[in-house]
Formats: sequence, C-alpha cells, structure tokens
Amino acid sequence: MHTKSWHSVGPSLDACIKCNICTSYCPVTAVTDLFPGPKYVGPQAQRFRENGQPHSPDHSVDYCSGCRVCNEVCPTGVKIAELNARARAQIVAENGLPLRNRLLGRNETLGKLAQIAPRLANLSLHNPVSRVLAEKVMGIARHAPLPRFSESGTFGDWFQRTQHERLKSDKKAVYFHGCATMYYEPFVGKAAVAVLEHNGYEVIVPPQNCCGLPLLSNGEFDEAAKYHSNNVNKMRIYAQAGLDIVGTSTSCTLTLKEEAPELLDAFDEGSNQLKMATWDIFEWLRERYEAGELKTDFRRMEMVLPYHAPCQYRAHRVGKPALDILRLIPGVDVRESHARCCGIAGTYGYKAEKYQIGMDVGAELFDFVAEQGDVALTACDSETCRWQLEHGTDKPSRHPIEILAAAYGLYELNGRDVVHS
Amino acid sequence: MTKHLDTNILVIGGGATGTAVAWDASLRGFKVVLVERRDLTQGTTGRFHGLLHSGGRYAVKDPHGARECIQENRILRRTHAHCIEDTGGFFVVTPEDEGDYPDRFKAACDEIGIPCAEIPVREALRREPLLNPRLSRVFEVPDGSADSFLAAHATADAARRAGAQILTYHEVTNLIVDNQRVVGAQVYNVATGETFAIHAAMTVNAAGAWTGKIAAMAGIEVLILPSKGTMIAVNHRVVNTVINRCKLPADGDILVPSHTVAVIGTTSVEVADPEPLRIETWEVEKMLAEGNKLVPGLSQMRILRAWAGVRPLFQETYTGGGRDVTRKLALLDHEAREGVAGFLTITGGKWTTFRLMAEAAVDKVCEKLEVKRPCRTADTPVPGAEQGHYWLGHRLHEVEEQHLQSELICECELVTRAMLENAVKRNPTLTLDDLRRDVRLGKGPCQGGFCTYRAVGILHEMAQAGAYRPDADAWDAAFLQSPGKNREPLSVNRDRNTDYSLPNTAPPSPNLLLRDFLQERWKGIAPILWGKQLRQERLDELIYLSLMNADHLPDAELTSPSSDFYHYDATPQEDANA
Amino acid sequence: MLDLLVIGAGLTGLTAAYTAAKSGLRVKVIAKGLGAMHWGAGTLDILGYLPGEEGAVKRPLAAISQLPDGHPYRLAGDVAGVLATFVALTEEIGLPFQREVGRRLTQINADSENLLLPSPVGAARPAFAAPVGQLGGDLSRPEPMLIVGFTGLRDFYPQLIAENLTRQGYPARAAFLPLAVVSGRRDNTAVSIARELDNPDQRQKLAQALRPLLKPGERVGLPAILGLDDHMQALADLQGLMGTAVFEIPTLPPSVPGMRLFRALEERLQRLGVRVEVGMEVTGANRGWRPETRDSQSPISNLQSPISIEWVETETSARPLKHRARAFLLATGGILGGGFESDVNGRVWEPIFNLPLTAPQKRSGWFRPAFLDPQGHPVFNGGVAVSPDFRPVDGAGRPLFANVWAAGGLLANFDPILERSLSGTAVVTGMAAAQAIVEHVKCEP
Repeated sequence: MHTKSWHSVGPSLDACIKCNICTSYCPVTAVTDLFPGPKYVGPQAQRFRENGQPHSPDHSVDYCSGCRVCNEVCPTGVKIAELNARARAQIVAENGLPLRNRLLGRNETLGKLAQIAPRLANLSLHNPVSRVLAEKVMGIARHAPLPRFSESGTFGDWFQRTQHERLKSDKKAVYFHGCATMYYEPFVGKAAVAVLEHNGYEVIVPPQNCCGLPLLSNGEFDEAAKYHSNNVNKMRIYAQAGLDIVGTSTSCTLTLKEEAPELLDAFDEGSNQLKMATWDIFEWLRERYEAGELKTDFRRMEMVLPYHAPCQYRAHRVGKPALDILRLIPGVDVRESHARCCGIAGTYGYKAEKYQIGMDVGAELFDFVAEQGDVALTACDSETCRWQLEHGTDKPSRHPIEILAAAYGLYELNGRDVVHS
Repeated sequence: MTKHLDTNILVIGGGATGTAVAWDASLRGFKVVLVERRDLTQGTTGRFHGLLHSGGRYAVKDPHGARECIQENRILRRTHAHCIEDTGGFFVVTPEDEGDYPDRFKAACDEIGIPCAEIPVREALRREPLLNPRLSRVFEVPDGSADSFLAAHATADAARRAGAQILTYHEVTNLIVDNQRVVGAQVYNVATGETFAIHAAMTVNAAGAWTGKIAAMAGIEVLILPSKGTMIAVNHRVVNTVINRCKLPADGDILVPSHTVAVIGTTSVEVADPEPLRIETWEVEKMLAEGNKLVPGLSQMRILRAWAGVRPLFQETYTGGGRDVTRKLALLDHEAREGVAGFLTITGGKWTTFRLMAEAAVDKVCEKLEVKRPCRTADTPVPGAEQGHYWLGHRLHEVEEQHLQSELICECELVTRAMLENAVKRNPTLTLDDLRRDVRLGKGPCQGGFCTYRAVGILHEMAQAGAYRPDADAWDAAFLQSPGKNREPLSVNRDRNTDYSLPNTAPPSPNLLLRDFLQERWKGIAPILWGKQLRQERLDELIYLSLMNADHLPDAELTSPSSDFYHYDATPQEDANA
Repeated sequence: MLDLLVIGAGLTGLTAAYTAAKSGLRVKVIAKGLGAMHWGAGTLDILGYLPGEEGAVKRPLAAISQLPDGHPYRLAGDVAGVLATFVALTEEIGLPFQREVGRRLTQINADSENLLLPSPVGAARPAFAAPVGQLGGDLSRPEPMLIVGFTGLRDFYPQLIAENLTRQGYPARAAFLPLAVVSGRRDNTAVSIARELDNPDQRQKLAQALRPLLKPGERVGLPAILGLDDHMQALADLQGLMGTAVFEIPTLPPSVPGMRLFRALEERLQRLGVRVEVGMEVTGANRGWRPETRDSQSPISNLQSPISIEWVETETSARPLKHRARAFLLATGGILGGGFESDVNGRVWEPIFNLPLTAPQKRSGWFRPAFLDPQGHPVFNGGVAVSPDFRPVDGAGRPLFANVWAAGGLLANFDPILERSLSGTAVVTGMAAAQAIVEHVKCEP
C-alpha cells in the first residue's frame, strides 16, 4: 500500500477524518460519475492498496485530474492529489502505458522533432483529418486545444541570437523557460527576460530540459527521474551560487520545487538546493515588490482583465502572486476568477475519454469570462490552461508576464513580441 | 408445555473451537446443537490479532505446539482458504535481540518441518520498506493473516449444512446434572427472554475464557487462568507480511496485517474475570514502544483502536501464569477426572489449532458414546473455501468493477447496503456490533462516525418492511464480506416456521442500536484517543450531539444484552504502579 | 500591509473578517482547510443544553447568566447586539436567518426562546434561529409533517425521523421518492442533488413527484438539498409549486446549509476586498520562533510587556511564506477545528503561538466513561484563556502578545458541542474580538 515514496506522503492518509469536504468541492466529481471523488480514490482507497498486490484493485483514480482542490480544502492536510498520483503510477507499472500517454508525456521530444520543420509539423498536427486519426488511433481528443509549434524559432534560438543585446549586471537571475516557452511560446520567455532586465537583472538561461511533469502525471516515474536528475545536475551550481531560478511555467517550477522530489523520493542535497532556489516568476516579483525593489513605472493600461490563477498555484501554496502584481498596474481592472479549474489539468483534457469532462469542469471558468462582458484578453499563468481558456472562450489569453512587460512598455500584447527600443 | 430440544451433542460456546466441534460432530453424523451466549466470536475468537501461526513462534519453546501449528496451518489453508490472507511471515532480529536465539530458532523450525528460509535483509526491506532498517537477520515462514470472524461463520455454516443448529444469544444458565451425569443444559434466550432445556447425550464445554464458569455449574473445578492480551490497530497496513520478533515470545512482538489495518500485540496479564477487560495505559505505551522497534515511527501513526482478549490458559494446578503456561490444547474427560459423565471440556490451545481441538474433542465423544466415526474435517473444505485466499484489495476491486460506490454505507471499510441487509438476514442481529463482526461495519478510521447513523436507518427501514429477520435459508457465510456477491438483498421467507435459533422478536429499537454502537466504539477508542483519532472523535461528537441530538431520543431506558459490556469504564486511568 | 490577518476560515474567522473589513480594516483570511461550518446543521445555535441538565434550554440568552465565569459568552458582553449584527449579515448575503418564516429577526433579547427543529435522526434539536429553509420544520407548529427521502440516498432516513418525531408528539409520516426524480446520476450526495436543484426544471420535477404524496394540511420535510447557489429561489419555487410549507432537515456532513453559508460569506468578503486563502498551513510565527517548543510555560510570559508578532509563516512548496499584519486573530478552532494538537503523553497544545491551554495535560483526565455523558469530556472543555477583549492571557491574566487575539472553538471554559453553542459562540466571539481589534488598530498610529 505504500509506494516507494511512502514516507513523504503516505502518512498523510492517516489525517483523513472522512468528512467529505473534498468530495463536495471536487470539480471533476461534480460533473461525472466516473470519478467517485478525492476521498474515495485517495485516503479511502489507499487503505486497500499494497505493494505486490495481485493486481491494482481500482481504476477510477485515473479520472483524478490532479487539480488539487481537494488538498486545498482538506481541513486535516491529507495530500490527496499526491496519493492519487502514486496510485496511478502503480497502475501504469502494472498495465503498461498507452502510446497516447507516452506521447503526451514527452513534450520536449516532440518539440525538438517539430523544430526540424515546425510549419509542417503544425500543418500535419492541426488539420481535421489528422486530429480524427489521432483520436481514433491514440485517443487524443480531436477538439482538445493542441498548441502550435513556434514557426519563428525556439526561445533558445532567440536568446542565443540576441545575446549581444542582453543586459549585463551584478544582479543575476536564472530563467527556467520550460518546454512550452521553448517550443511553442517563445514570446513568454521574451517578456520574462524583458521584465527581469527592466528591473536590473542579468538573465542567465542555463542548459535545462523538461521538468518531467508530463511523465509524472502519466505515471512514468522512472523516466521522470532521469529528467529531474539531469536538471539538478545542470542547475544546482546556480543554486549553490545563491542565484534565484525563476520560471514562467507554474507547472515546471512546481515540479522542480516539490513534485519531482516528493514523487521520486529525490531528497538528495542537489534536489533540495534546486528546490529552494526555484521561484514562480510572480512569487519572486512579489518578494521584490515587498522589499521595495520592484520597478513600478507602469504605463496606464485601460482594460478589464479576467484573471484565472492556475491550479498549480494551489500546489505552490503561495496565494495568487500574479494577481497581487497585476493589481499594481494603473487602469487594469483585474477580475479574479473563482472557478476551481479550467478543466485541462495538464494533459488530462487532451485524452479523448476525458475531453468532455475537462470542458464541463471548465464551464465555470468560461462562464465567468463571459460574465465580464466584452473583454479583449484573459490572463492565466499556465500555458495549457491558457490554451484551454482560449478554446473555451474564443478569447485570446496571455501570461501575466506578458501583461506586465506591456505595462512596462516593453511588450506588444497583440503581436506578442518584445518592443525593440 | 415446557419447550425443550433433544440432541446428541450440545456444544457450549460459539467461538472457533465450539463452531469447529459442531462442524466436526455433525460431519460425523451426530445431531448437534450449539449455544452461544452472545454473537459468534464475541469472545476471544473475535478479539485476537488474527495470526495464522506457522509454528515459528513456538518452535524453540514448545516444539509439540509448533508441530500442531504447522500441521493445522496447512490444513486451514485448504479447509478455510477464503478466511485467510496469504501474507507470509518474517521473523526479524532487531538490534535488541541478542544471543543465539536466531540460530536455535532456525534449527528448531528445520527439525519440526516448518518451512523457514533466511532471506537477505535487503530483500526483506524491499518487500517491507517501513521495517526497521537496522535489522540484522530475517527468516521467512508461512505465517498468514486470518479473518477469525469469517472463519467461525464459515465453520458454523458448514455445521449447519450438516444438520447442526446454531443458537446465538442463548446463554447457559445451568447444566442439568442427573446422577453424576450431565444430561443437558438450561438455556436462556436473551433475545426473547425464553428459557428452555436442551437434552443431550454429551455436552462439550468449549466456552473459552468462560470454561471454568460452565464447569462449575456441574460442580467441577477447572482452573482456567484468564490471561489478558491487549492489541492495538494502526489505521493502515504498515506491513503486508506478518512480522515477528525472533526471540522468546514476549509483549508486543508481533505485527499482523489484518485487512485494512495492522495489529500490534500483545500483552499478557493475568486477570480474574474474562470481562470486562480494562486496557491499561502502560499496555498501550508498551505496544507502541515495541512497535517502534519493528517499524520505526509506528507510534506516531494514527491508532484506530485498542482491544483485549483472554487466552483461556489451562493449568492442572496453579503454578504461575502468562506465557509460561502451556499453549497446548487441553481435553478434559470429566468422567475420568471427577466422575461426572456426559461432559467434556476442550480448552487451551490457539486459534490456529481450533480444528485439531475439535477433532480431539469429538474423538473423545465417539469413544464415550462407543461409536467409531472418523474425523472428516481435515479433508472437507467449508463452503466458500473454493474462492481461495482473500487479498487486501478485494472489496475495492469489486466495488470498482461493479460500480457500487453509491451503495457504500461504511465508506472506510467498503461495506455496501446489501452486505449489511444480507448479514442481518444471515445471522441474528441484536446490535450493530454483530454487523461489525460480520461485515467490518465501523472498523475503519471514523469508527462508526458516519456509518452508525446509516446502519441504524437501514435496519429501521428493514424492520418497517418486515424484512428484519434472519432466515435459515440465507445462512450462507461464504460471501458475507463480498460487495460484489451481495448485489441484491436476499429475499426472506416470511412464512417459515420459527427456528429456535432465529429470535422471533421485534427488531431492536433503532435508538438503542445507535446508542449501543456509539458506546461500543467509544470503549475501544477511549484508550488510544489522542492526535488525529481525537479529532475524528470530536467530529463524531459533533455529528451525534450538535447535528443529531442523539442524546435526547426516545427509548433512553432500553438496554440490550450487550449494553453492560459496552459500558464499563475504558478511559485511561493513572497507572497504579506508576 | 494588512491590518488584520485572520487564521482560520470557519464561522469565527469569516464573521470576524467581515466585522473588521466593514470597519475599514485591510483584512486577509488564511486557513489550512475549510472549517467546521461544513459539518454542522447550519443553524444559529446559541445554547441548547446546560452541562449536566437533562432538558433543553428554553431562553438561551437568559441562561447565559447560569454559565460559569470565563465562558466566552460571559466575556462578550452584549451578546444580543452581536447576534443582531450577524443576523443582518445573513440578510445581506441573501441567506436570512429567522425565527419565524417570513419575519425578519429584529428583536433578540433575554425572552427569546429556542426553536426546536427536527434532527436527521428525528430528535428535537434546539436552535435559536435558522436559515428560512429550515424554519418550516419548527416543531411548535401544528401541521403534521411528511418527511420525504430518496430511495438509496445513504445520508437521510425519513422513516426513522418520522417515527421518532411521532413518538415525541410531533406527528410525522415518511415517504420515498426515487432518486431519478431529482438526479440523472448514479452517485448522489446531498451536495450533488443540491446542485441539480439549482436547475428550475429539476424543481418542477420534484414538485410534480411530491404532490401525489401529500395529504391536505401537511408540510413537507426534505433532506437539505434545495439548491446550492440558488437556494432561496429553489425554496420559493418549491413552496409555490407545492402550495405548502417545505423545509429542509440537515444531513450527515458535508452540510449543504453550511456550505451555502460558507460560500455566501466568502463571496461577501471578496466584495469587501478580503481574500480568503485556503490551503495555507501556518507553521511558524515571528522571528523564526517555532511551535515545536511545547513547554507548558509560554516562552514570553516572563517578559515585562507583551511582544508583538510581526508575521506568521505558512508552508509552501519550497520556502515558507511570510504574512505580515498589524494584528492577528487566531480562529483555528479547538480539537475539532484542528487548532490544537495532542499526543499519547496527554499533551494538548496550540501549535501556532504556543498559547497555554487549560486542558488537562494527562490522558487520565480527558474523558468520562460514557460517550454520551451529559457532562461531556473534560479535554474538550479546555482551551485558550483570554482577557475580556479576547487576547490570550497567561496564568496571571496578562495578555501574552500585544497584537494577537483569539476567538471561537479554541477558547477555554466551554464545550460548544455539548452545550450546542458551536455557531453561536463562533459568531459572538468572532465578531466581538474583531471589534476589539478594530479599536486597537484604529488607536494605534
């Protein structure tokens, strides 16, 4: 009943007092009978699982989206979502992994391949025929919001290319871009670099690879462990040097901070150094602000901005730092979404059998956006949530760092590129 | 006319031994009546850690007993397969266990024929990651984890099918002695208040810890040393293998995975009476301290419950108690010993050897009745054994496969509504505690917090529908605990003539059922209430006081036959010797 | 910087945050998880029983004088006034608490009597006021009750309720409807059905199915399922369709009435600019002073003047997060709410500020032999002793900190579950403490 990382999470099942608050707030249970609820698949089912059992007794845990509403509302601190992630890993270990999940778990490999000919890759991925095929053959939902590969080169290319323009400074910050920024949305990285430099930081982009989260959420723990230890090896020297490592992907930073160490039993010194040096970029900016170090030379921006804090913030447990900072920008009327989840939940909403559940879960958010009137943009920190948000609302969505960069006059929100001074 | 029953053999006691005597005797063609003062397994059978011994524990000290264990272990794995989880067992050497005991242990196992293999500590830790990493040696033996509730039901079921009558809630008030011969017993039906006589050619006293009291009714002194053993259950499995300390048996040296929990036991304390059994603070602390030696951090885990059972240790003359008294079975021929014919006592022994004890007793019955009928139990699986051993996940698996989530009444232990209803029909039910023994109702973390109310509501609905009554045809214990095999409520034959075994009384007051079970659960949690379990208890209080106002319901004056047993003071006291 | 950081998102914390924010303070609420509001009946329970006494309290406000010194109500002073503020708040959030259907509750005084409402097991539970949805069940009303359940719904037993009510002199009978009437789902809880009944079509279906069951003159009792976000309309619709009083009986946790109240209060707070951040576990306070030191003596009690807390920190995915504020209100609840911890050695402690507790510090002093002992269990009577302005005090009655207050279930000298005062004491002490904090903050430069 305890998987290998029992010590960090397992004992928390003992805290459950069966009160079912988690089930009452679970956005997935609310829309489908296929998921009997966090308490049932979490601390309750866990008492019926063991190592070396004849076979995995349960399967409905696979419908947990990992949004962590349960962790947040639990009055006793049960790490329900983590228990579920482990249970899923055990099912994977037993049943093997479908090709679909193998693919969804390998963002980085896909990105690298696509960059050989990104336009062709987009064309072949984004036409209706191939989407139907992908659904039939692999179970990737045909309507799910697959991202488009960057056709103007990767973030890495840009950073290399503009090396001579980059700010040199005694104050340095390390940037973890993650796969989405690298291959799909290099402009998010550009905005981040612009904001950091504007505040006087020299940006270091060290060699790095996928954080491993897509693998973790599909239960491929062994593979994820390799990714994680690569990242530790590549980046711990910066942590040791006392530099902060900031990331724009809330899921990547979460993985470096907590998910990977906890799920993979990576409690070694290097993992810990990386963990303690890693920040979500807005968590970090808020610290700068509270220390009086953040530049607030914002331009006034007249806009109503529905903002949805992604589920990963729930796991970061740092509140809503992007909201705190966006509210500093004059003219921006930030409307905070209280929707529980957009429904995509990483790779969850891409799976054919879960696509509709994801859309039903997201309805709360889509309705919220609709209620805000005719807005031009929405904002959300996580890339997959933004894609889902765009898919569910037909409105463009931006990373808050893009908004902030724009407020500094460094970024063009429509063209999604840094302003060349 | 005064009611009476005539039978060949009257068995007193509805524990493992008594049910096995009934089974064995009815298989040999005797007409059998078994009486039990409360529910099956309410005595020691339902209050131990559930260890199916390989014999390893007794190999050094009591080779004869150990030999009996391994022999019976092999038999029960066939005859009662579905009542056993094949966990295997480890004997582990901790840093505190010094000396040559491990080598003597291994040699003794080899000598007796107990399969025993030393395995690398690393391998043991791989299989049981929470074990103390400082173990120096580990031996693997064929221990197992037994469901003694299900086993007794299965045995009783087998006996019933072979013609025996099983009368629960029938208390022996006196033995009928005629001219130095026990010819039966006066019996009081505690459910109906009826009293009647059972006449029998032979009476077998299998009353466990109450053996001495029964024998005294025939003017016979049987010196039983009730030795209390206290156990505590940890909220989750902790280990999936039985863990024994590799040393001479002592307090707190066994950790048994039992369904969803792990049980650490036991103490050994001489007590005057089999009931009530107070759990002392030092016993709890001792179990936790010893548990920590097997699984570091065990004492910090959530403890669900504590309970105590009595070993019915027999000694010819008193020389000392506890672990030094033999654990061998004791068959007392009272005709030979005291000149009282028609009366045998079978006692001592261990749960693992219950079948053997019955065999010995019924052999003696045959001898007394001068018939030759060989024992058949060793080769006759009880109904349900064909399912094979159970595994921890079976309930969850069945609930998942058949989508029974919405049927769950006891969510902690995955008890469905139909399991509950059918258990009522399968077995006389006067308290929810009876259902706890039958289907594990209320045995999980919330200790009845949610399911007490639900079960009371359901039993009340059954009563309103006229469906609250046991039915002899429904007495199928094979699937008692299976969510998947209890999809539908059993239909009850309402026109059946009343069987003595099935109390034809009004169903218990729902308010009494509720109060009784809340107090019954309280008795077992009060000794271990701190930390997370204390918070759970407070939530349970909120439910039954703030929300339900259950302390202001009608029927406050009613009691059940078990109310007194639930009501002794189980709260922690200052240790007298502290 | 915040004026007030409230720790705890139960009824105490939320009503305190409301009071403070209404007075212009900048307030934030943080909590480890959601609170006991989600477990109870969702009524305003001031005082139902006096410890050791058999009968229910008739006039709770008058009975306060019989409570021991140091009982939270005795500290709060104007209990009726505070309660009136709370009732006004319930009206503000659209879930009005009343004592009589359709009549705004404006008079609260020593003569006000407890209501008796049907409990989920059919007992008559005392409550002072209730959301209008439960008031139709007022047992002083003469109409017989039809208690309607749903076949297969595990958290509601109409026959049991009806039988017990009838035996106590409140005529009631039971009926069942198939779950399919209100739900297309296989798995149903009170919460999921309540969501279904947010949809007007489902209310129609329910009314249609109910109508043939009803006899003239009867009122209808249902489990608390009449809508989650649209409760008042659901209730009005159903009563309109049925042409009779329809009322809710609370169910096993999670409590739909409690969940409604929580969500409405949270929304109200948001509109006041108060963020309620759940999932935040406080692990330390001030200069890294950690709660692990569990001495019975507070480490600062021997200082001349009480020190101020600068910040508390919460556990995150990496480094702790600091929350600075001028004042802190501890509203984490007692053992029930998770505000206290306890261990095998009989220690009970408050882990955030290490406040001294009055609970017996050995397990042998914690319990009475019967679970339902009318005196309750001593361990639950212990808690944080506070000054008349709700500041935790040391043994000599001196405040331990300059800027820490405490309210709700963690207070000493009462057992809110035993005396049925859980929501009443939460509201009264929460709001009273917040008043004290407002005065404090406004006086400070």
